Amino acid sequence: MSEPRVTQPPPAPAPAPPVRPGVKQAERPHPLTPFIRGWLVLVAIVLGFARQFLENGSSGGGINTSDLRWIVPFGVAVVLAAAAAGFLSWYFTRFVIDDDELRIETGVVVKRSRRVPFERLQSVDIVQPFAARFFGLAELRLEAGAGGSGIKLRYLSRVDASRLRDYLLTRAHGHSARIADVADSALPSRFTDLGQGDRTLVRVSPQRLIGSFLLTNNWLVTAGFALLIFVITAAFQVAVALPGLIPVVISAVSMIGSRVIAMFNFTVAESGRGVRITRGLTNLASQSVPVNRVQGVRITQPLLWRPFGWYRVDVDILGYTSSDEGRDRDDATTVLLPVGAAADVSHLLDRVLPGIDLDTLELRRAPRRAAVLSWFDFWTLRSGYDARVVVTEQGWLTHARYVVPHAKAQSVRMYQGPLQRRLGLADVHIDTPRGPVKAVARLLEARAARELAMSQLGRARAARSTAEGRAALSPDDASEADLLDHFGIGADTLIGTGGEAKVYALDAERVLRVYHSNHQSTVEVVGQLQGLYRAWADQQMAVPLILQNGTWAGRVYTVNRRLPGENFADWLAGADPTERPAALMSYLDAAGAVQQLPAPIPGFARLVGSGAPARFDSLVSLLTAQLQPQLEVSRVALQADIPQVARVWEELVRALHARQCRPAVVHGDFCPANIYLARSDDGRLRISGVGDFSPHTLVADPWMDLAGAVIFLELEPYPEAVADSRWLEQQALSRWGRDLARWIAVYRRFYGFYFSSAYRFDPALYQWCIRQLTPLGG
Amino acid sequence: MDELFAPPTYEWQRLSPRYVTLRQLSALLFWPLVLTIPAVLIGLVWNLWWVAGLIWLAAVLIALDRAWFGRKSWRSWGYAERDDHLYITHGAWFRHLTAVPYGRMQLVEVESGPLERAFGLATVTLKTASPDTDARIPGLSASDATQLRDRITELGESRSSGL
Repeated sequence: MSEPRVTQPPPAPAPAPPVRPGVKQAERPHPLTPFIRGWLVLVAIVLGFARQFLENGSSGGGINTSDLRWIVPFGVAVVLAAAAAGFLSWYFTRFVIDDDELRIETGVVVKRSRRVPFERLQSVDIVQPFAARFFGLAELRLEAGAGGSGIKLRYLSRVDASRLRDYLLTRAHGHSARIADVADSALPSRFTDLGQGDRTLVRVSPQRLIGSFLLTNNWLVTAGFALLIFVITAAFQVAVALPGLIPVVISAVSMIGSRVIAMFNFTVAESGRGVRITRGLTNLASQSVPVNRVQGVRITQPLLWRPFGWYRVDVDILGYTSSDEGRDRDDATTVLLPVGAAADVSHLLDRVLPGIDLDTLELRRAPRRAAVLSWFDFWTLRSGYDARVVVTEQGWLTHARYVVPHAKAQSVRMYQGPLQRRLGLADVHIDTPRGPVKAVARLLEARAARELAMSQLGRARAARSTAEGRAALSPDDASEADLLDHFGIGADTLIGTGGEAKVYALDAERVLRVYHSNHQSTVEVVGQLQGLYRAWADQQMAVPLILQNGTWAGRVYTVNRRLPGENFADWLAGADPTERPAALMSYLDAAGAVQQLPAPIPGFARLVGSGAPARFDSLVSLLTAQLQPQLEVSRVALQADIPQVARVWEELVRALHARQCRPAVVHGDFCPANIYLARSDDGRLRISGVGDFSPHTLVADPWMDLAGAVIFLELEPYPEAVADSRWLEQQALSRWGRDLARWIAVYRRFYGFYFSSAYRFDPALYQWCIRQLTPLGG
Repeated sequence: MDELFAPPTYEWQRLSPRYVTLRQLSALLFWPLVLTIPAVLIGLVWNLWWVAGLIWLAAVLIALDRAWFGRKSWRSWGYAERDDHLYITHGAWFRHLTAVPYGRMQLVEVESGPLERAFGLATVTLKTASPDTDARIPGLSASDATQLRDRITELGESRSSGL
């Protein structure tokens, strides 16, 4: 990178117009919207007349060509009216989706403004009707809780729709994000709506889709009925039965529409923000199922699928009504997999209900005497539970298995009719929100039923309270809980929370780091750190070692070797004052030791982060490049709060220009929270390791960490921290020379600018930054 | 009432005894009224007054049976407020037991129709996110109903959990 801004201070004299909250630019949907809606009406009219024409044509009479005189103008009028209505509704629809809110205003006569809290969003879908697809437009559908409070935004350009979708899903998962962060995500493929980061889990081939459809019970019954009518007609030479064919044909066509055309190219992919389903031959629908909001799962198998080992999977999601045979073919469906082999099913269930093994779950059969009441399927009635889910099964024409996680169950009901009472049997219902899942453990032994119902209440309560505990811990509740479950540890093993990740203790040797964000860049950072740690593994100073990394439940995690000792910041908080000087001296030694780590590339460089390793030709160009993104955020605030900020900046740049040094590894965030302390065998306190290398890590001025060690100490909350920081500075000066004093002052300004973006999330730290940013003088 | 449908540990709380009278009265009014229409029709149109008479007799018998059943039905109802759940049971022949976790309640309704109001009674209904949750307690005295509503709303707030 060149140095275009080195002499030009970023807090430019002419500030950008500050964004005033309250006066927001509301957007309208794409201007082509009215045309597409008019077009849809036209298609509907043509189809309607065509159907009328065909049906009446066979029985004579009805519409004939002379009627076209009035049909055509009438059709044109209707289309124009629809287009005008479409235009009005487009003109009066405005939406705001930004960093703070999601608000939609609609209505020509009655104005309606809806503001949806991001956390309430249950799902965000993209639907592309055929006509909209031609123009590269898409409809964005938002579900916010039960009760059909769906919001439709139509139509947006595909780029906007997928960008907003990504943003909203990030917010819906409780991650903080800014809309600008997702702005430049790559456009997903036109046919599958899958982005580059998405990993396909299951794809249904057309052969299997059609083959399985032909073997469903519903299709066979419909086709058989149609065949029967034909046979009767042919055999008895009567056409009486033919009118009866019309509803049969219509139902067959709609069945093909909803089961084949709408499910064509069905692809389930793992995206960073849940499971993404895309499907459709003519209309392309893309649904993002937030995994933690799945209320239950249904796995079905029609009789004739059994030889092929095929299954279908549906899920209950709040707000999705069961459109199993839905007329609205492009509506969101509850189908997670229209057809798949057992391996596909378990693959998906791993994702939707992680850590649950349905095969080892023990199911109890209904007793033999259940045959009296349910002679046609008593042998298929089974039910059981484990620590996390309750499972029921029934049916042989279509075998269905229902799985409800305890944490999601609503109420529990027990039922016993007079006959059941006589036989000593009872049913237990596990209620779930509206949807395909209807978990009923039928015809259990009365005692067993009572036992199941009562113990189910206890299990549901326990599951809810752990889920709540986790939700209170972190907004990324379920995904993190899933990840912890995956590793078999509880939230109580948390040992630290940092700027990038939360750290949990796995055992005495290993820790689990769960990164806050799941952006692609995080994966990149993890990879770079893995390389660095490996290169430094045999150095004298202990650094972390990444043993394993991956993504689970949409969260990036690493398993690291646990650094020996105790966190230095925790130790300082309760330390014996007489022991502090020795420990602090060792802390200073460690800051000096970091520079001894071998730099992976020569010269000044950024080692971690997007595009790293990136080389710079001078210290000043590297450090100003480091400051650029922070200042983008804080420039306006700094200009408002520090009158002479331009002067401070110029002095900093001039000083860094003049700095002569040999490039060395710089931790970049050398503060007690990232350092570990242990007592050696002879009873002396020693710094045992340095953790949390991060995108702050550079190859730069070796004195940056010495300065950081001194400067950041004063931010520690214990009472004597400021005094200790002064004392440590004197110790550092006596070891590295008086010259260091000036550079500690220079790096105070540097770190003041570097952490100034904290004004968005940490006012105390921002106030500290302002205090650092005084003119250097002399 | 046997132990199969009993709440854990505690006794059921019963509905107001006036509910029996309400049920009996509504049964005595409902059946004769409803069956009078076909009876009169048959009598007028086909002049088969003896059939009409039989229908009427049937109506009175059904009404009496229902009225007699009213007490049995009243006895079958019960509810119990426990630490985490509200238990409701009903049905003399078709027996139901519903347990609703307070934390799962979306809303609590108190309703009172004209007849119920005349008897000073009200119905409390609990709604969860599931449409299948069948948690209705009829025949509570109006003050009991509002008190129950307030208690369980409070419990619901303190225990509410995400969906």
